[in-house]
Parts: sequence; C-alpha cells; structure tokens
Amino acid sequence: MIPLEYELILSALLFVIGLYGVLTRHNAIVVLMSIEIMFNAPILNLVAFSAYTGDAAGQMFALIAIALAAGEAAVGLAIFLVLYRAHGTVDLSRVRLLRW
Amino acid sequence: MFEYAWLIILSPLVGFLIAGLFGRYFPKHVGWVSVGSIGFSFVVALWLLIEVLQRGAIGAAVSEIATGVEWVPGIRFQLLIDNLSAFMLVLVSLLSTLIALYSIGYMAHEEGKPRYFAEICLFVAGMLGTVSADNFLQLLIFWEIMGLCSYLLIGFWYHKPEAASAAKKAFLVTRIGDVLFLFGVIAIQIIFGTLEFSGIQRQLAANWMNIDPRMLTLIPLLLFGGAVGKSAQFPLHLWLPDAMEGPTPVSALIHAATMVKAGVFLVARSFIFLVPTEEVAPGVREVIHGAVPWNAILIIAIIGGFTAFFAATMALANYDIKRVLAYSTISQLAYMFLGLGAGAWLLAEHGVEETAGYSAALFHLTNHAFFKALLFLAAGSVIHAVHTNDMREMGGLRKHLPITSLTMLLGALALSGFPGFSGFWSKDEILAVTFEAGSGNSLFTLLWIAGIGTAFMTAFYTFRLWFMTFAGKYRGHDEEHVHESPRVMTVPLMILAAFTIGSGAFAFLTNGWSNFVFYAAPHEQGPIDALAASPTLAIISVVVALGGIGLAALVYYRQTISAGVFTRSRAGASVHRLLSNRYYIDEGANQLARYGVVGVAAATDWFDRRVIDGAVNGIARGGAAASRASDWFDRRVVDGAVNAFSLTTVRSSLTARKRQTGRVQDYTAVIVFGLSIVIIVILIWRVVLPALGVP
Repeated sequence: MIPLEYELILSALLFVIGLYGVLTRHNAIVVLMSIEIMFNAPILNLVAFSAYTGDAAGQMFALIAIALAAGEAAVGLAIFLVLYRAHGTVDLSRVRLLRW
Repeated sequence: MFEYAWLIILSPLVGFLIAGLFGRYFPKHVGWVSVGSIGFSFVVALWLLIEVLQRGAIGAAVSEIATGVEWVPGIRFQLLIDNLSAFMLVLVSLLSTLIALYSIGYMAHEEGKPRYFAEICLFVAGMLGTVSADNFLQLLIFWEIMGLCSYLLIGFWYHKPEAASAAKKAFLVTRIGDVLFLFGVIAIQIIFGTLEFSGIQRQLAANWMNIDPRMLTLIPLLLFGGAVGKSAQFPLHLWLPDAMEGPTPVSALIHAATMVKAGVFLVARSFIFLVPTEEVAPGVREVIHGAVPWNAILIIAIIGGFTAFFAATMALANYDIKRVLAYSTISQLAYMFLGLGAGAWLLAEHGVEETAGYSAALFHLTNHAFFKALLFLAAGSVIHAVHTNDMREMGGLRKHLPITSLTMLLGALALSGFPGFSGFWSKDEILAVTFEAGSGNSLFTLLWIAGIGTAFMTAFYTFRLWFMTFAGKYRGHDEEHVHESPRVMTVPLMILAAFTIGSGAFAFLTNGWSNFVFYAAPHEQGPIDALAASPTLAIISVVVALGGIGLAALVYYRQTISAGVFTRSRAGASVHRLLSNRYYIDEGANQLARYGVVGVAAATDWFDRRVIDGAVNGIARGGAAASRASDWFDRRVVDGAVNAFSLTTVRSSLTARKRQTGRVQDYTAVIVFGLSIVIIVILIWRVVLPALGVP
C-alpha cells in the first residue's frame, strides 16, 4: 500500500504544475490542458483519502468530478472556438477584453 | 318734512347728466336744459323758503333736516334746512338761472356748448349742495365739486394757454385753502366725534371746558383757511383776477352766485365755533364766554379789513374791465369777512341780541350777488359787443348799448354804496358794526378806517370803469359793428337790475335782514333804526361814496383833472407801477415757485440721490460683498472639498486601474497570490504556532 503522503505530494505537484501552466502559457488550449492537470490533483486527493479511510464516498465524488471536468473541458473548448471566431486568435495575451 | 328739498340739488345734477351725455345731439338748444333744470331748482327753493318763513312768520328759528341716507356709519348724508340755507338756495338758484339764460346768448357762437352747460349745471349743484349741507364732510364734498367745476370752466377755452394756466392757478391756489379746510374737518371729527352742525353745537356747549382752548382757536382758523382760498382773500387772492380768462358768464357765476360766496357761507356756518352758544332755557340761547376764540375772530376781521383795502387799491390802476370787477369782488368779499369778524366780536361781547354783524355780512352777500352778477353780465355784454377787455379801447358806448349802460350804471351805483341802493344798506351796516366793535378792541377802529378808505376807492374805481366804458368818445375801431346784445342777454340784465335796486328793500321787509338769516336770536332793529342810531357814520359813508363818484367824474367824465396828475410825480408813478403789477405778489409767487419749490425739489433730489440712493446702494454693495464672500467660501471651501475628494478618487483610480490589464492570467495570478496568503496564514495559525507552543 502506497503511503498517503506520497499520494498527497503527487497531488500537490500536479496542482502546482497545472497552475504554472495556467499562469505562464499564452495558448488558450494549453491553459485549458493545464487546468485539466490541476483538476486531477483534487480528484487524486479524493481517491487517496477514500482508500485511506476506507470510505467509498470519496470514489463516488471522484467519478462525479471527472464527469464534470469533461463537461468543463467541453464548455471551455466551445468558448475558445467562439473566441477564435471573434478575434481570430486564441492567444490569451492578446485577448484583453476584461479590462477598464 | 322737507324731503322735497332734495329736488333742488338733484335737478341740476340731472341737467348735468342730460347736457353732458346727450347734449351733443342738440347742441343749439342744450342751454335750455341748463336753464330749465336750475330754474326748476329755483322754483322748489322758493317754495321751500316760503314754507320755512311760514313756520312762525319771519324771525322764528327753523332748523329742519331733510332725511337722507346713512352714508358711512356715523355720517348721514342729509340736508339742513334753516333760514340761512333756505335763503341761500333761493339766491344761488335764482342767480344761476339768470346767468345760464344769459349764457345761451353769450355762448351762441361757441363750440363745446354741451360741455359748458353741463359744467354750469354741476357747478350750481355743487353750490346748492354746499349751502344745504348738514355736516362738514358733506359740505367739503360739494365744496370740492365746485373747485373742480371752477377749474373746468375757467379753462373752458383750454386751447388758450392763458386760460389753461389760469385754470391751473385757480385750482392750485384754492387747493391750499381746501387742504386747511380738510384738516379742520378732520380735527372736528377727532375732537367732537361728529361732523353735524347741531351735534357739534351740543358737544361744544356740554364739553367746552374739556377741550384744549388752542384747538378751539385752531379749528375756526382752519375752516377760515378754506374760506380764504375759496373767497380769494389775501394771501390766496391770486387766482381770482386770472380766473377772468374764462367766459364772462362763468366769471359772473363764480363771483356772484357760487364759489367765492361759499367761503363767506362757510365762515357764517363756523359761527358755531366763533360764538358758541348754549340753550339755557327752551328757545333762549346764551353765549359761552369761556369758549369764544377771540384771536380767531380778530384774525378773520383783520384779514377781511386788510384784503378789502388791498384789493381795492389794485382795482384803481387796472384797465381790464373784468379784472377791475374781480378786484372789487375780492374787496367786497373782504367786507363780508370784516362784517362777520366784527359781528362775531360784538355777539360774543354783548350776548345773543347783537347779531347785526352776522346779518349785515349775509345781507351784503345777497346784495353783492345781485349787483356783481349784473356788473359781470353787463361787462360781458360790452365785451360781446366790442371784442376786447381793455377799457382804453372802449368809451362812448352809451349810445350803442343803451340797456347795458343803464343796467350797469345801476349796478355801479349799488356797488359804490350810493344812498338808497342795496350796497348802501349792507355796506353801511358792516361799517357801523365794525365801528361799534372798536369800543371793545381798538383794532376794529383801524379796520373801520380801512373800510371807509375802501368805500371811497370802490366808488372811484367803479365809476372810473363806467365812465371809461360808456362816456366820452369811442376809442376802439369798427364802431359800426358795435351793437346791443340779443334779448336773451339783456333780459337777465334787466331782471338783475330790478333786484339790484330792490334787494336793499329786503332789509325793510325783515327788520334789518337779521330776522332772515339770524344766527343766535332774531332782533328788532330795522335798517332805519341802525342809521338813526349812528347818523354820523351814515353821513361819513355817504360823503365818501359821493366823493369817490365825484372824483371819478372829474377825472374820467369832465376831464377837468387829468388822469396823468396822479402818476406824474415820482412817488405817484412808482405807486401806479406797484398797483398795476399787483404789488408784485404774482411775481413773488412765481419766484417763490421758481426758487423755493425748485430749491426744495433740488434738495429732495439731492437727498434722494445721496441719502436714499446711497443707502440703497450701500445695502446693495454690502449684499454684493457678502455674496462675494459666500461665493468665495462656496468655491474654495465647499467646492474645494468636493473637488479634492473627486480628484483624489480619480487619481487613485487612475493608478488602480493599471492593475486591471484584461489579461486572464494576471487575474489568475492575483487569485493565486491571495489564495497563497490565505493558505500561509492558515498554516501559520494552525500548524506553525501550535508547533511553537503558542496557545
């Protein structure tokens, strides 16, 4: 049995790597992919704690979260598609609509 | 009882309305409306007089009220019918009828006849209302109606600048008197609480010791001030000679029947103040000696005596036929005031039996009304014939104007006090009363001397006028056009001539006139008794009258004495210049107006500009300064605070907005940063601190 700490450290690494991607990459698709990586960190946590405590509810939550992540990815891609149609680019450093 | 007396006043008023509103549809005959309505008044007034006299034969006091309406609370609009007012009504309406009749001929070729006759009617209504008023307010109202009408009629030829300014002068000068009169009426209302003659008499008898004696002197003097203005006494005599600019019948109306007589009437009415009486027993009245305003009486007599002499001197040097008559009117009215003053003095001194002065003055008023109307209408007839007022361009008119010259001769004889004519009886009686009063106060002796001198001058200038006009050779031009006036003008002259001779006889009918118009009590003395009582006085006045007539005849008829004799010496010339310039009083008044009034106006102007405007401007400047301070505070402090606030907000937002880049990742970085801090805080709080052992 893999100790809980390893799993948590892996989860934290996934989160930080994903966060780094979100903050640094310019391409929206890559950012979305990074978000997906970040998503996996809590899911892994859920599974780890479920195994640790022996409670199956954690696994249920993990499955729901995966399903939601799929939907989120779909919505994100749809937004980027529209963004591309409107601006001809998915470079986030050039899309500056959310400003004064 | 005597309610029909209202008709006397209403009839001319109706005539006024008809002539004024509808006269333009029948301008040729509008005069008859006037004659008819005033004539109707005369008939009613005559009936009223007969009724009054029948109330207990001649000599019984009648004092009836023709009820009217309560006009304002406390003041009833009603007529007082007593011997005096009943007689005055007859006199005024009779003369006015004749003058209106004469006007039809005189004004035949004039424009604006409806206006003329309407104003005549209103004028007469004003006079009739004045003499029958029951209280001082009513009297004042009708008095002012007369003032208005005198203005309108004197300025009848308003396109002539002299007439317009004469009208203005008449109105303004009498206004001075009217204002005094108004003050008197106000004072009476305040002190006595009533304006009715009978009420005042009762109040005075009951309360005279509680009234300030200065007020008792002041009130009759204020009323006399009104009379001075209306009757053209010194110093308000200026308007009357200029009033000759009006049509001659108007002059006759003003001088004989209305207007100037109202002043004498007013003083006669104010005898209730001059000689207050109380009823000690039914029908017996006694003078209240404590309440007699001796100084007021003296002032009235002095003004009368002085004006009589003063006006007569001005008549001596005048060449305008109407102005000579105007000065003689002033002088004769002054006689009446002298008579009233001396009469009041005697009455107050000797008790109620001594009413000769009062009745003599009113007798003179009557006689003067007749002969002065006659003289004016005759003068009008002359002017109508020769178209000039200047006596130097007349002369020898006796053969052209036989009726006019004869009637005017009768009037002149009456005016100069020729024995047997009406003026003789009344003037002599006034002088006798004045002389008698001299035993009480020697000032009256002086006034008597002035009166005698006036009588001499009166006789002289009257016959100077008559001789210059009718005797000698014609000095004008177009002699063939001079002709006698039409019948409608000569008939009034003849009627008036009859009255001029006959009115002296009234004295015989009524025992020395006093039983007609007495004030306190009737008395028994007949005119012959009065003469017999003081034959020396009568002889003196006869001699004086004859002397004046004789001198005039010598100078202007026989021409044995040249008129130049009087003006040849230097003193004589300067006197003549003084007289023909009317003592420079008119110039003085003009100068007074020029420098005094203009000076006052300039002073007021200065005051207005400097003080009032200064104050206003000062206030405005203060307001401007205050508002500037307020403005400064508003801009600097209030706006400053607001602006500082907004500016800070704007500046800080300018700085702050730079953080809002619009880049998703920047925002994410902020979120991560914040989240990191939260996590670090939680870590410190929950992990590090417990690990270090901090509770």
